[in-house]
Amino acid sequence: MATTTTSPPPQPQSSSPSSPSFPFPREYFFPAFFTRQTNITIHHAQLTKWSALILAYARHHRLFRITISAAAESDLFYNRGIDRRLSPPDIREVLDFMRKDGRAEFLRPGESNGAADASSSAAAAGGDVVFLYWRKPEEWAALVEAFVEETAQKGSVLTVYELTEGENTRGTEFHGMDNQVLMKALNILVKRGKAQIFGSEDSLGVKFF
Amino acid sequence: MFLKHIDLTTALRPSYLPDEVLLFVQDNVGLYEGKFKLPNQQNGQVYLTSHRICYVDKDEPRKYSAALNLKEVDRYEFYAGFLKSSAKITIVPKPLKRSTLHNRVVSNTGVNSRGSTPSPAPSDNAYTPPSGPPSMTAATWVCTICSFSNPVPSNFDPTTANAHTPLPPCLACGIKPTLSQVLKAAISTASNRPAATTNTSQSGISSQEISSTITPQSSDLLTFDTRTGSGQGKPDATVSFHCPRCTFSNHPSLLSCEMCGAPLLSQNIPSSISSSEYIRTQSPGPVKDSNSKTSQGGTDFAESVKISFRGGGEKIFYERLKSAMTQRKWLLQDAPPAPKSNRAMDDSSPGSPSTPVQKTKTAGIAGLEQLGLNMRKNNEILIGSAFEDLEALMASAKEVVALAERFAQQVNGASGDVTSKDNSILAESAHQLGLITTKDIVGGGSSESLYFSELARNLAEFLTDDSRGVLKRAGGILTLVELWAMFNRARGGVELVSPMDFEKAAQMWEGLKLPVRLRKFRSGVMVVQARDRTDDATIKSILAWLQDLHEFPPDRDVAWDWREFGRGVTAQEAAERFGWSLGVAEEELLMAEEHGALCREEGLEGLKFWKNYIGSTDPALLQKKEAQEQADALIQRLKETGLIG
Repeated sequence: MATTTTSPPPQPQSSSPSSPSFPFPREYFFPAFFTRQTNITIHHAQLTKWSALILAYARHHRLFRITISAAAESDLFYNRGIDRRLSPPDIREVLDFMRKDGRAEFLRPGESNGAADASSSAAAAGGDVVFLYWRKPEEWAALVEAFVEETAQKGSVLTVYELTEGENTRGTEFHGMDNQVLMKALNILVKRGKAQIFGSEDSLGVKFF
Repeated sequence: MFLKHIDLTTALRPSYLPDEVLLFVQDNVGLYEGKFKLPNQQNGQVYLTSHRICYVDKDEPRKYSAALNLKEVDRYEFYAGFLKSSAKITIVPKPLKRSTLHNRVVSNTGVNSRGSTPSPAPSDNAYTPPSGPPSMTAATWVCTICSFSNPVPSNFDPTTANAHTPLPPCLACGIKPTLSQVLKAAISTASNRPAATTNTSQSGISSQEISSTITPQSSDLLTFDTRTGSGQGKPDATVSFHCPRCTFSNHPSLLSCEMCGAPLLSQNIPSSISSSEYIRTQSPGPVKDSNSKTSQGGTDFAESVKISFRGGGEKIFYERLKSAMTQRKWLLQDAPPAPKSNRAMDDSSPGSPSTPVQKTKTAGIAGLEQLGLNMRKNNEILIGSAFEDLEALMASAKEVVALAERFAQQVNGASGDVTSKDNSILAESAHQLGLITTKDIVGGGSSESLYFSELARNLAEFLTDDSRGVLKRAGGILTLVELWAMFNRARGGVELVSPMDFEKAAQMWEGLKLPVRLRKFRSGVMVVQARDRTDDATIKSILAWLQDLHEFPPDRDVAWDWREFGRGVTAQEAAERFGWSLGVAEEELLMAEEHGALCREEGLEGLKFWKNYIGSTDPALLQKKEAQEQADALIQRLKETGLIG
C-alpha cells in the first residue's frame, strides 16, 4: 500500500467534522436497489444510479480510492437502516461499469504504487483497491494547471508534497489529494508538454511550463 | 327456408343441441341451392351431426353459417364429380305441408330404409302378424341358421333376461337363438320405441282422433279409402308399399308384408293420418303423389341443397349421413334410454307378466335396502347385457355412461376426496363425449390441419365454456400443461390427445381468431389465456396491486418506508392474489419485470418483486440527465472554489 496519506477506510472519513452526513438518494432506501437486476434496462439504470451514488459519496467525503472489501461494510454499500447491502461481486460490477465510463480505475495487486499508466488496462478481476474519479485525471490536470497559471508559478518547481499539503494549495480542490491520482494528472500534463517530473520516489518535483 | 341460420359457439363451431353428436367435419365445401351457388357460402366447413348438417363459413362465420335439420331431409343423392366438377351431395328437403304418408311412399322407393323401425303401439294392436303373438315391441331377430326373421317374444325383458330365460326357437327351422342375439334385437328396438311414442304425442290431435273416434284398425283403411275416393282410384297400384326387408311390393292396405311378415307401418303413421286428412280438405293428394315421384329432383324442389366437396371427404360424409339418417337420433331427443324405460314399466305395472319377481312394499331401512338391492341388480343386468356384444353396448351407451358417472360420484363420495373441482369436470365429461373431435371424424385430404383446427376450436370451447369456467377459475391464465391434463381428464380417458397434437392445435388459435391465445414466456413456458388479456392489462393490474400496498401497512414492521415503496411481493403472493397457479404467477412477474414495470430483490426471504423505483426504462434519457446533473455540479463546485467567474 502506498506509504503516503489518504486511502483510509471510508468510515473515519465520513465521520470527519468537515463533512455533514451525506444525503443519500431515494434509491438508497429502496430494498430492491441492492439486488442485481436482470432486466437489462433496469440493470443499466441501476448501475448508473449506483455509480452516481458512489461518485457523489466519494466527492462528499473526498475519497480518492476505496478498498472493495472494506467499502462493502461501509454505509455506502450497506444500508443498515433497511438491512440491505450490495454484495462484493455486485460492487465490483458497478465499479467495472464506472471504469468503462472512465470514472474508476482498478489498482492491480502487484503495482500498488506508481506505474499508474499501466493500470489503465484495468484488470477488473484482480484489484481490491479502486480509484474513484469523481473528477477525472484530465480534470485534475486542468485544475492544477489553472492553479499554476493563477498563482503565476509557471517555470517554477513545485514538489508534489507542496501541491497536496502545502499552504498555498489550501482551499483548492486538489488539496489533500491522493498522490497516485495526482501523479496521473501530472503525467497527463507531462504528456502535453506542460510539465516535467523529476526526482526520486519520496521527493518528487514538478516543473510547469 | 330449408337452410336456417345457426348460432355458433365462441370457437365458431355450431353450438350443439342436447344429445347431438358430431359425426363428421369436412372443410373446403361450398353450398348450392337448387342449381345455383350460394354466393356467400362457398368456402367453409361442413359439420355433420346426428341431428343436423351445419355449414360454417370461413370468412364470415357469424353471418353466413347455416344449418339444415336432418329431420327435414327427405332424401339425399350422391354425385361423384366429373372432371372439374367436384363431388356433391344433394339434400332434398321434405315437402312442406305434404302428407308424410306420401313421404313414406317416397322414402320406400328412395334410399331410406325406414321400414325396419317398429310401428307404434296403437296401430299394432289392430294387426296381428301371421307369425307369432302380437308383440308390443315388434322387435325381430334374424335366425343365424335360416335367416328367418322371428319376432322377439313380448314377455322378453332385456333388463331381466338371463341365461335361464326361455327363448322360443326359430319359427322356420326350430333352432334356438342365443340370448345375446335376442337381447340385441330387443334393445335396439326398445331404443327406437320411445321415439315412436314421443312422435305420437307430438301429433297429439291425430292420436286423439285415433283413440276417440275411429278404431285403429279401420283408421288406416278409412283414410286410404277416403283418399282414393276423393282423388282417383288408379294410383293404388303404383303406390304400393315396398317391404323394407324383402322389397316385395305389397298392397297399400296391408299392414305387414305378405311375403316375410315384416311390419309395414312406419312409426309416423299417426301423423300420416292427420296429414292425409289435411290433403283431403286441401288438395287432390293422389295427383301430387304420383307426380311428386317424378318431379322430386326437378323444379318443384328448388330448395334442395347441394354440398360441394372441393377438398374431398364426400364419401365418408355420405356414409355417415346415411347412417345418421337411418339412426334418426333426433327422434330420441327426449326419450329415456331403453333399458330404463323397461324397468320403469316394471315398477309401475307390477302385474305385467314380464316381471315374475314381485316387489313387496316395504318401509323403513328394509325398504331402503330393498331399493338399493334392486338398483344394484338393475345395474348388474344393465352392465351384463351392455357388454355382451358391441352393438348392444352401443344401443345402451347412454345408460352405461350414466351409470359410470354415478359410480364415479360414489367413489368420490366414499373417499371423501377434496379435489372435487377436477372431479366435477370429470363427471361432466360424458356429456362432452359426443362433442369431441377425433381424428376419424374429420376427413378429406387436408385432414391433418383440419384435425388440428377442429381440436383448436374444441379446446377454445372447453376453455371458454361458462358452465365450466376453466379459464376463469384459473385466474384467466393457465399453463398449457395444466390445460392438457385437464382436457384429457375431461375426455374421460378416451380419445386422448397427444401433447404434440395439443401444442399444434393450441398454436392455431391465433390464426383461427379464437377468443383464447397461446402465450410463450421468455422461459419457454407456454400458457393459455383469453385474447383480451394482454401483457399491458396484466402489468396494470399488478401495479395497481403494488400501489395498494403503499396504503396498507405490511403485516410486520419493515425497515424501509413502506409508504414510499410499498413492499416486495413473492410469486406465491401474486398467485394467491390473482388466483394464478404458482408457475404462471412467476412468469407473469418476470414478464412485468422484463417490461420494466417491476424490479427484483433477492434476499433471505426469496425472490421478491417491487415496483420499479430504480430507473426509467429509457437509459439514454437517464444518462443525459445524469450528465447534465454532473455538469451542473461541476460548475457549481468551480464557482464555489472561485476558479471560474
